[in-house]
This record gives sequence, structure tokens and C-alpha cells, in this order.
Amino acid sequence: MSRVLNALPAMLVLLILAAAWLLPPFLPWDYRIIDWDHVSSPALTPGHLLGTDSVGRDLLSRTLIGTRITTMVAIAAASVSLLIGTLWGALAGWCGGRIDNVMMRIVDALYALPFMFVVILLMVVFGRSILLVFIGIGAVEWLTMARVVRGQMLALRQRPFILAAEAAGASPRFIIFRHALPNMAAVILAYLLLTVPQVVMVESFLSFLGLGVQEPMTSLGILVKEGADDMDVFPMALLVPGGVLVTLVISLTLLGERLRDRWAA
Amino acid sequence: MFGLILRRLMASIPTLLAVVFLSFFLMRFAPGSPFDGERPLDPETRLALDAAYGLNQPIIVQFGRYITGLAHGDFGPSLVYRDFTVTDLIWTGLPVSLLIGALALLLAMAGGIAIGLAATLRPNGPLDRSLMLCMTLLTALPTFVTGPILALVFALWLGWLPVAGWGDGAPVYLVLPVLALTLPTMGAVAKLTRAGLAQIMTQDHIRAAQGRGISGWRLIARHALRPALLPVISYAGPAAAGLLTGAVVIETIFALPGLGRYFVQGALNRDYPLVMGVVTLYAALIVLFNLIADVLYGWLDPRVRG
Amino acid sequence: MTAVLDYRNVTVAIEGRKVVQNLNLAIAPSECVALVGESGSGKSQSWMAPFGLSPGVAGGEAYLCGEPVIGADAASLSALRARHAGFVFQQPLTSLSPHLNIAAHLTEAFCQAGAALPDQDTLIAALVDVGIDRPAERLRQFPHRLSGGQRQRVMIAMALAHRPALLIADEPTTALDATLRREVMDLLNRLCRDRGMAMLLISHDLASVASIADRIIIMRQGDMIETGPSDQILSQPTSDYGRELLAATPRLTDPIPVRPVIGAALLAAQDIAVSFPMPGWRRPHLQAVADASLMVHEGEAVAIVGGSGSGKSTLARAIARLGPCDAGEVTWRGLPLPPRAKMQAHDRAGFQPVFQDPVASLDPRWRVADIIAEPAHHLGRGASRQFVLSIMAECGLDANLADRRPHELSGGQAQRVAIARALITDPAMLILDEATSALDVLVAGRILDLLRRLQRERRLAMLMITHDLAVARQLCHRVIVMDQGRIIEQGDTEMLIRAPHTDISRALIAASQ
Repeated sequence: MSRVLNALPAMLVLLILAAAWLLPPFLPWDYRIIDWDHVSSPALTPGHLLGTDSVGRDLLSRTLIGTRITTMVAIAAASVSLLIGTLWGALAGWCGGRIDNVMMRIVDALYALPFMFVVILLMVVFGRSILLVFIGIGAVEWLTMARVVRGQMLALRQRPFILAAEAAGASPRFIIFRHALPNMAAVILAYLLLTVPQVVMVESFLSFLGLGVQEPMTSLGILVKEGADDMDVFPMALLVPGGVLVTLVISLTLLGERLRDRWAA
Repeated sequence: MFGLILRRLMASIPTLLAVVFLSFFLMRFAPGSPFDGERPLDPETRLALDAAYGLNQPIIVQFGRYITGLAHGDFGPSLVYRDFTVTDLIWTGLPVSLLIGALALLLAMAGGIAIGLAATLRPNGPLDRSLMLCMTLLTALPTFVTGPILALVFALWLGWLPVAGWGDGAPVYLVLPVLALTLPTMGAVAKLTRAGLAQIMTQDHIRAAQGRGISGWRLIARHALRPALLPVISYAGPAAAGLLTGAVVIETIFALPGLGRYFVQGALNRDYPLVMGVVTLYAALIVLFNLIADVLYGWLDPRVRG
Repeated sequence: MTAVLDYRNVTVAIEGRKVVQNLNLAIAPSECVALVGESGSGKSQSWMAPFGLSPGVAGGEAYLCGEPVIGADAASLSALRARHAGFVFQQPLTSLSPHLNIAAHLTEAFCQAGAALPDQDTLIAALVDVGIDRPAERLRQFPHRLSGGQRQRVMIAMALAHRPALLIADEPTTALDATLRREVMDLLNRLCRDRGMAMLLISHDLASVASIADRIIIMRQGDMIETGPSDQILSQPTSDYGRELLAATPRLTDPIPVRPVIGAALLAAQDIAVSFPMPGWRRPHLQAVADASLMVHEGEAVAIVGGSGSGKSTLARAIARLGPCDAGEVTWRGLPLPPRAKMQAHDRAGFQPVFQDPVASLDPRWRVADIIAEPAHHLGRGASRQFVLSIMAECGLDANLADRRPHELSGGQAQRVAIARALITDPAMLILDEATSALDVLVAGRILDLLRRLQRERRLAMLMITHDLAVARQLCHRVIVMDQGRIIEQGDTEMLIRAPHTDISRALIAASQ
């Protein structure tokens, strides 16, 4: 029983991802096509398993496509944050002293920015594109990764085996890539997993404000927004995409936390 | 202590300048103008308007004038809400945003610490496990999902509370927005408290205190709680900032007349001074929150005081 | 007269695993009993579990001042502890609550058995008793302002404040500076004798407790191996283990060891200085090492001894280009060594370090054979498996360990791997940074034997950093004594031990006797 419970988050994530990426071609209605005969129809309407939205588009199709976009943005943005954050943090932690001080001051300063506002500004200024969405989000999320990696690097630098490698004649590059980074890979992976739900939330948040991807493309945030607008007549439109979003975020958070607790200790 | 505060304030000046600089130039390089309305303006009116607001001068000069104004506490005029200065708009919106933000922060702190303490009573017991699972769920729930769902359940279905609106600040109108804003932060605070206590309880000074016959609540209250709250305090600064940002969504969902709404509207309308004013103000608030958190940290941990 | 502490067939289990079996002991009032054993012997669990201070489950019968300890419910056990017992722990740095000042700690200790609030004078008197200077000022200070020795004195004052019948001191001096150990041990002894208090002393070091304890119990893997009056155990132990333990602890009274002949100059360091920035507003610098010069010849072993914070490790790392070095020059076989950032693998091949914590000095993700071969790899020549295995054999490592990872090794094996890694480049000198002080007595003894053999067979020069003069004496021709970043005395090992010129040297000698 508890083994099933432990495996549940991973299974749910896989299930949602598989459905979002494999299922849409087999559904009777495309996410863009309006079914004039069924507008705001309830669940189990023929052809529309979960019903349709207020303009008659299939809710299941739209939710799956929205999930696809949201996860795509999340993975891309998490990768951006991984790349910048790891290099920045590893460099700061390795160099130490004044360089570390300056690099971390920059991170602190960026932390103090009301970053969501800057991202919103970016969206408004340069127009809405998926590319910008994930660059913007990745640029926010790398800060945490940089701090984590720097902390790990500082702690590792104190470990005698790093000093022993230096005594063995290893070059700094060899030490960073062959001794230090492999020893923090587990922690980095755990934080990467925790970054993904963060990104999902930020992307959905932007889309919710109408600053994310554009129609007819959709994302979970847009769907929640649309659902919230007419939840009084048709709660399904809020509950279905909201449920998928929440399930995804919770499962990823639980997974990431479990990995972090196991490896980071 | 005063040295610490002074140093922090000095260190925050570059950050604030960076915020102003960044948002100023981002806005100016954007296509579009604040005077693009329903129909295009004729060129003469356009030039006159630009001249009236100083938009025809070199951008460096505009930036210099803005900074000078800012130093005197002047955020400039709003370009879209024509008869108002940005300061007027901030004074109407800020009290609303601050009220719900402050209420949410207080509730999240008090509730989170209480739940964290309750979970620590029997470590790894059923209460602990279920509470911590709930808290993880709370941290993972985005406000823009909980907000509408809370409104759906408590306002539309049960009819206990108003769906949205401000109602001149009547308490019933505050319940749902504040609750939606509180929950995720409360989850995070509870988890931090629990983790901090669990870590402190294994330390030598706790065992030493137990050796002196101190146990139960007295042990936690006197020897464990203060050091265990350090991570919570470090989190409080960013949490306050997060609540301010989160308030943007909450204000949109519940149609509250707060600053966040002005910001989103301002950004969409290219109302440069308004957007800049809000961003600068929020950056300053975040710096202030972090400063308060640092001071509290020093109070909790004498080692920081030196 | 009833015993203060009375154990009858006490057992302790942790998660179902027995760590203490059938322990019997009785401590009479004003008697001092020492429990001695290596790590894993169960010596700490044997008091923590029955007193409810560890998650271990205790069985059997134990009585504190006639009242049962095992089986008592948490509340009455807590009250019993508070009334009759006082505790001093190994880690003075972490045993005080960081956010409460010294006065709050002492007040709590005075009131723990139900006494009324003590006045300021009582608190000051308690601090004076344990030898703390400027007591009135200390009362207002927080623990982080006090040194390790001062904190341990505060812990002692707290343990005695409520006049308990029994004091339990678990490795009370192990974490302290070598120069302070004897002093703190004598303080404990004096206070207990003066107040007629019984003491249970836990230690890994047989010789250090011998002068204080009336009786000694030797434990090994949870079993009581031997018990008897101190002088008897020290002069003629009956068990093999007791004899081994005694033989493995180097003492200054041991016969003078044979040391190899010395050759030409190998390493010379001139006027080394190192400073560290200190946290704070104006960023003052801490001068960790100043004007230190030394020389090592081929085949010569030189010890740098001193208390913690004396700068001995910092100096050795500056010389070996493994730490910061602000000024001074180091020459190796007559040629100057480049600064740390410019060191190439071939510059380092001649001298190799061995560190204190053996397991931590090996990359946890690498296999033993790769770890040992790493220096040869950086030299560009690599090392054949055959060669690695032969070095392993020389260091007493079994060939089947070659594919293990560090966490599968014992402390002694890990230190042998570190030594094998140091030998792969065929160096002329080893730098031993407290290489045996983290190991158990018996294991450390065997590592010392290995180092002695290598010194003889390979004519290895050594620069040895240690706080223990008796260990240094096993290997070293010369001794350099450091204090507060400066070399204050140096000379032939035997001469220095016989006729020390400085108080620091005398304290170090006292600590190793």
C-alpha cells in the first residue's frame, strides 16, 4: 500500500505527460475547431468526453494541448535555469573571495527585484512569444539554482578530497568537472525537479494575466483563466485544467522533495 | 546592529537604481506609445503631447529628470489617467494591496509556525505525516487556481461570502482574497518550521538541556524554537515579496482596487511613469522587508550580532 | 553505603542491534570510574540510553541513588536526572544553546533540582570555581564569544551547580586543545574530590584517565573486557585487548625509537606569512602564520606541534602550496616552488600530503584503484594496474579492495589508500596533517607502524603536523613548536622533551605523558 502511494506522484506525472503528448491525434475534435452544435455542453456529450468551452471547443483536447505547451515551456525554462545557474554557482563557489562576493551580490540584487514585474514588462514590451516566456522564466529561476550550486561548491571545497585532488596535480577544470560536479549531481537533479513545478506556476500565472502564449494556442494558465471567467455556469471549465495543473505541480514537488531529502542530506 | 542596518541600506541603493534603470529603458524601447488610443492621433497633437510630457527630449535627459524627481519623492504624472499623478494612484492602490498582503503574511506566519509545532510533537506520527502532506499540497497550489475555486465553493455554491469586490474594505470581502493568498505561504512556513525543529532537536545543546531535566514544551519553547525559526525568518523576506506579486493575481481575480491592477493596466497601456512608479515602490518594499528580516534574524541569533 | 550508580546486567539495543551487553558496575560516593573503549565499543550508549538521552533501548536494572532508572517513565526519569546527575559532553562548542547567555544557562542549572533563583554572586562564584576570568562580564555574554576551553568550563560549572551526587563526563577533553586537556581534566578531578561527588568518566584514551580514575572498565563491541583498579590495569592488564590498547598508545616514556640517517637539504621555507581576512566592518586581518622558516633534509622527519589555532596546519599548507601564502619563499631541492595557482603536476610529485579524515579525503564516487592512480594520471604517465596493486600491497591493502568505493572501507583502510595514493609518484617527502588523530587507538598504532616502515624502506622525508608530541616522537628527528602563528621553539626531539624552554612546550609534554 505505502509502496503504491510512494510511486503515485511519478505515475501521475508520467500519465499526464503521456496523455498530453500521445492522445490528441486520436480525439474526434481538434483543440482549435468549434463545434457549433455543442457550446458550453456538459461532460459526456457525444464526441466531447469532458464537454466543451463557452465557444464550443473540446475541453479535453484543449486541456491536453495546454498541458503540452505548459510542460514544454517548463522543461525548456528549467534547462535554461540549470545551465546558467550551475555555471554561475560553480564558478562563484570555486573562485571564492572577491569574485564570489561580486557574483553573489549580483544574484542578491536580482533576487530583490520584483521579478515577476520584470517578466511582465518583458512580455508587454517584446510581445508575447513562447521563446520569451521561457527565457524570461529561466532568467528568474536560475537564481535559486546558482545559490544551491554555489553552496554545494563551497561545502565541497572544504572537503579534503578536493584538496587531495589538487595535491595530486589536478587542474581546476579537472577538479570541477571530475570531482566536484559529479558529487553534487544528485542535489542539482533534485532542485531541477523542484524548479519544474515553479516554472509551471510562473508560466500559468503569466498566461492567466493574458501575457503568456496567444490564441489559438493555449496553456493550462489560459484555460484556468477562461474557466474562472464562466465558472458560475460551467464549473468543469475551471476544475478540469485546474485539476491537471494542480496534480502536475504537486506530483513534481513531492518527487523533487523526496529526491532532495534523500540525496541532499 | 545599527552598523548592520546602515550597511544593508547602503547595499540596497544599487539594487534600487538597477530596478529603475532596467524598467525605464525596457519601457522606452518597447514599440507603441501611451497615446495610441482607439484611433490614431494627428501628428501635431502627437508632437504637442510628447513635448508636454518631455518625451521628445533625448532619453538620457528624460532618465536624469526622472531620477531627480524620484529623489524628491515625485513619481511624475500618469500618462493615461490624465488628471492624476502617479503618487495619487499609488496612494489609492497601496493601502488595499498592503492590507491584504500584511494580513496574509501574519496569518501565514502564525498558522505555519503553529502547524509546524504541532507536527513536531510526535515526529513521524500520523498527525505529523498528514499535516506535512497537506502543507506540501498547499505550497503547490497556485493562487490563481485556489482563488477561483474558493470563490466557486464559498461564494457561488454555499453563498456565504461575496464573490468579488472591495465593498469599501468590509471584512467579509477580505476573507477569500486573504485566504487564497495565505495558503501557499503558510504551507512553506509550516514545512520550514518543522524541518528546522527536527534538525535542532538532534543537536547537542538540546541533549544537554534534557540532561538538566528540561523536557516537553519548555524544552521546545526555551531551547529549540528560536534557533529553529532562523530559516523561517530568512524565508519571510522573499515570502513578503512573493505575497506582493501574488497580490497582482488576487486583485485581478477578486476585482480589488489595489496597486497590482494599476500595474497590469499601466503596462498594457504603456503608462511609463505609472509602471515605473509601481516597480520602484515594490523594489523598495522588498528591500525593506529583507531588512526587517535581517534585523529579526540578528535578534534570534546572537552570533550574527557579533 | 549504597552505590550512587548501580548497573546490573544492563543491555542497550539500537534498532534491534545490541550495542551494550550485560554491563555491571557500581560507583560509590566520591569514587571515579572510567569507561574506556574505541569508537563502537558502546561506551557512550551505556549511559545515554539508560538515562533516556538517546533513542537506544536499555534493558536490565540500573539505579541512580537507589531509584530505578530503566523502566521509569519519561517525566520521573527527567526529574531524577535533574536532581542527582550532572553531564559534561564532548562538544563544548555546541552543547550550549546559542541564543541564551551564560547567566541564563547557569540559572537554569542552579534551579534544575528545584532550588530558588540564585543571585548574581552565586553565579559569579560558580564561574570562579571553574577558573573563568572576568566572570561578571562573562555572565552577560553569549556562548559564541567564549573559547572552547571556557565553554567546557561553563558546562562543568552547570553540571555541578545543583550539587548532584553523580557527574557523567563523556570525553570531556577530546574536543579541546591539547594544551588545555590536562588542565580541564585536573579541574574535573579536583572539583569532584572536593565535593565528594562520584564521577563516571568516558574516554577513548586509556592513559589520559589513568591518573584520575579509581577504577577502569575496558569495553569492546559492547562487552566488558576487563575491569580493575587503575594502577593494576595500567601496569599489568590481564586481557590481550587491554595489553594491545596499552601498547598502541605512544607515550613519552617509551624507549627512543631508531630513526634513519639524514641526507642533503630537500625543502627549505623562508619567512612564510599567511593572514586571513576576518568578518567585520573594517575587515581586520588575522595573522595566522608570521616569519616561519624551516628546513627538511632527505630522509628527515620534522614535526610541527602546537595547539589548535597555532597555525601549524596553515604553515604546512602554505609550504605545500595547498593553502594561501602571503609572503616568503619555498625551495625544493634548491629550486623555488611557484605560487599555488601556477603549480603543475610535476611540481607536486616530489611531496604528497596525507590528511586527517581518511574517508573524506577520498572522492566518494571513485574506485580505490582510480583514486590511487590519480596523481600518476595527472603526471601524464598513468599507472598500470599491476603497479597500483603493488603499491597497495606495500601499504597493507588487499588486492580485492581495488574496485571498492571509499564508503565501503574502514577508517584504517581508507588512510592506507590515501598513503598509497601519496606514494604512487614515488615522492621524496610526505606531509602528514594529523594523519592518525582521527583514528581509533589500535588502528592509529598500525598506521604509525606502516609509516615507520615506509620511512625506513623508502628513506622518505616527512613533515608531520600533530598536537601529540608522543606520536611525533615515534617518527621525527626534530620538533618545531608553534604558538599563535610563530615558531617559538625547535630542536632535536629528545632534547626538547627533556628540556623544554617554553610553557607551551611544557603543556604539550604534560598532555602526552
